[in-house]
Amino acid sequence: MLLGPQIRSTSYLIKQLPTLTVFIDCEFRIIHASDKWLFTFGENSNAIFGRNLFEIFPDLSIKWQTVLKECFNGKSNPMGVQKFRDTFQKEKWYEWSNNCWYDEAENIVGAIIQIIDVTEAIENELELEKIKLQLKQQSEISKTGRWEYNIINDTVEWCEITKAIHEVNQDYVPKLDTSIQFYKEGYSRNAISMAIFEAQEKGTPWSLKLQIITASGKEKWILAAGKPIYEKRNLIGFTGTFQDIDEQVLANIEIKKSEKLLRTLIDNLPLNVYVKDTNSKKVLVNKAECLYLGSKNESELLGKDNFDIYDYETAKKFTEQDIKVMSSLEPILGEEVVSLNKKGVETTVLTSKIPLLDERGKANGLIGISVDITNIKQKEKELRNLIDVTSLQNKKLINFAHIVSHNLRSHTANFSMLLDFLQHEEDEEEKTKLLGMLNCASGSLLETIENLNEVLAINTNVNLEKKVINLHDKVNNVAQNLEEFITENNAHIINNIFEDRTLKVIPQYLDSILINFITNGIKYKHPNRQPKISLDLLQKENQSVLIIEDNGLGIDLKKYGNKLFGMYKTFHSHENARGMGLYITKNQIEAMGGKVEVESKVGVGTTFKIFFNEEN
Amino acid sequence: MRKIRCIGIVDDDPITVFGIRKMLNQVVECECIEAYKNGKIAYEALNKKFLDNEDIPQVLFLDINMPIMDGWQFLEEFLKLPIKKRIRINIVTSSIDPFDKKKWEFYKNKTHHLITFNNKPINKQDIAEITKVA
Repeated sequence: MLLGPQIRSTSYLIKQLPTLTVFIDCEFRIIHASDKWLFTFGENSNAIFGRNLFEIFPDLSIKWQTVLKECFNGKSNPMGVQKFRDTFQKEKWYEWSNNCWYDEAENIVGAIIQIIDVTEAIENELELEKIKLQLKQQSEISKTGRWEYNIINDTVEWCEITKAIHEVNQDYVPKLDTSIQFYKEGYSRNAISMAIFEAQEKGTPWSLKLQIITASGKEKWILAAGKPIYEKRNLIGFTGTFQDIDEQVLANIEIKKSEKLLRTLIDNLPLNVYVKDTNSKKVLVNKAECLYLGSKNESELLGKDNFDIYDYETAKKFTEQDIKVMSSLEPILGEEVVSLNKKGVETTVLTSKIPLLDERGKANGLIGISVDITNIKQKEKELRNLIDVTSLQNKKLINFAHIVSHNLRSHTANFSMLLDFLQHEEDEEEKTKLLGMLNCASGSLLETIENLNEVLAINTNVNLEKKVINLHDKVNNVAQNLEEFITENNAHIINNIFEDRTLKVIPQYLDSILINFITNGIKYKHPNRQPKISLDLLQKENQSVLIIEDNGLGIDLKKYGNKLFGMYKTFHSHENARGMGLYITKNQIEAMGGKVEVESKVGVGTTFKIFFNEEN
Repeated sequence: MRKIRCIGIVDDDPITVFGIRKMLNQVVECECIEAYKNGKIAYEALNKKFLDNEDIPQVLFLDINMPIMDGWQFLEEFLKLPIKKRIRINIVTSSIDPFDKKKWEFYKNKTHHLITFNNKPINKQDIAEITKVA
């Protein structure tokens, strides 16, 4: 221990040191300490002097004793950093270091320990570590690495991630040319070479989606970005990032592929497909829909609503459907609708509308699928007509068979009866009478057969062709041929048909039809008035209708309606009625593809309407 | 021989009328056989007889296919007459149309008169069989 004023002055000097300094002797006893040291460690009293350092700081590492012992032997070493809570209980970091303490005789008498507050540095270091860690995590997650090229040394540096992306070992040392060779030959390699060149020449940065072939030979999509670095306006290198975007790019390619597949599919479906938004405006249409709506390309239809495309009533109907589907979320499936477009073309479609739902389950549009079944409908109609015609013909045939069988049977019954009588008859006079009757029966049979032949001819004669005739002239012609009969009955024929009116018919049949209706009208005239027969031609829905009206007896259609056109049906006690005329007439009209209707009032007259079919 | 006071034949075919008449003469004794050319004539004559309280035929032979008023139309009207006595109506037809058979069933079940359905040709035995008072 030093004594005397010198000592005191030394002690005084030490006391004022602005640093945290403590002097210990070789027994670790505290000899001097700066006030700052005392204050920092909360030792305000002088009681600590002479006490062992390790007693006062029991937390100090025992290792330090060894370090201090070495110091006593003339070899000073750093001691390290110690955590300590200050008087405000604040955590602080202190770095301890030592120096040998010599006396005037250059003998080591102890150690001078310097303590520096390194709390801030430590904290900064910790923060830096944290940031580094975060950066590393970030780049690992985003698979983004860094790289740097130094022109002066011609060195390339890759970070761990960059190396991992290239699938090389961490000890791999890249060079500029090898770095470039990782890029896939062709577009990728050319593009990166060009980018570096441009950066070198013009200082432009780059960011390119390119493909590399990794060390293991795998093809990978990467995003290579870089920029030149300058120092005092001189280019000294490049730096940049390197990101593995293989998954995203591949996913994108997959998405594009499925989009293309979907598009190809909907464009080639033989169905009209469209998507509408909540305002019923089209946002997607396929080729079939364009074709159906007569548009050259989809852009003509996108953004259009029903009212832009269809006739008002149709558009209204479709819009109501759209609203219903989107509000109820119930699809419409395979509903048959007739639609009229702006050009007035009518089509029948089978339509389905399915609501399109967003993530919250609300409709944000609809998908429509429809098939134009106009042709099928037309075919169906034709087929139904054909069935109708066939079943009608079949009915007629059965009816005709009954007529034939009945008529022939009644004659043969008479024959067999008369022959039976004749066999058993003895009386000559009676025999002659029976023979006369047989003769008569044979005559009727012949006539019946002739009548049946006439009907058969109408129904089977397909060789007769329809020709265009002038109806007005034809009527006059027929009236002229019947002149005698007409004058005899004082009848009046009124031809109201336009003079230039023509009609496509089988002329023979038309003659027979006109003769029959005119003679019938006169035959069954009303006894109290002059018979008048007027003929008109009307046009009813593309069909010509000949109207023949008389003022004759009229007929009770309730009673006789279904028999009026039957064979051998007569309704008036008239000697010339043989019940063939109307039957033949009806057959002739139907053979031409037309039909006949009748209206009549007893005592007033009868009107026949003959509907012509002018097609072949 | 069976005796029947009055018989009616409703048929437009004179040969059939002649035949039935001839066969009737051979199988029954009959005071009068009347023939009507169609349903209308027959109905009017019978209606008059009924109103005048005259004898109405006990047996009627009825054809179906006749002009103006056919057999069915005749039946429709005749069955409306409030004749108490049961009359035998023999339909004689050459029709084999099932529709006519159905109509016969319909009228047969509708009336207290006896209605039979007979197909032509018809012989003496058949006539003897069906010419009875109902």
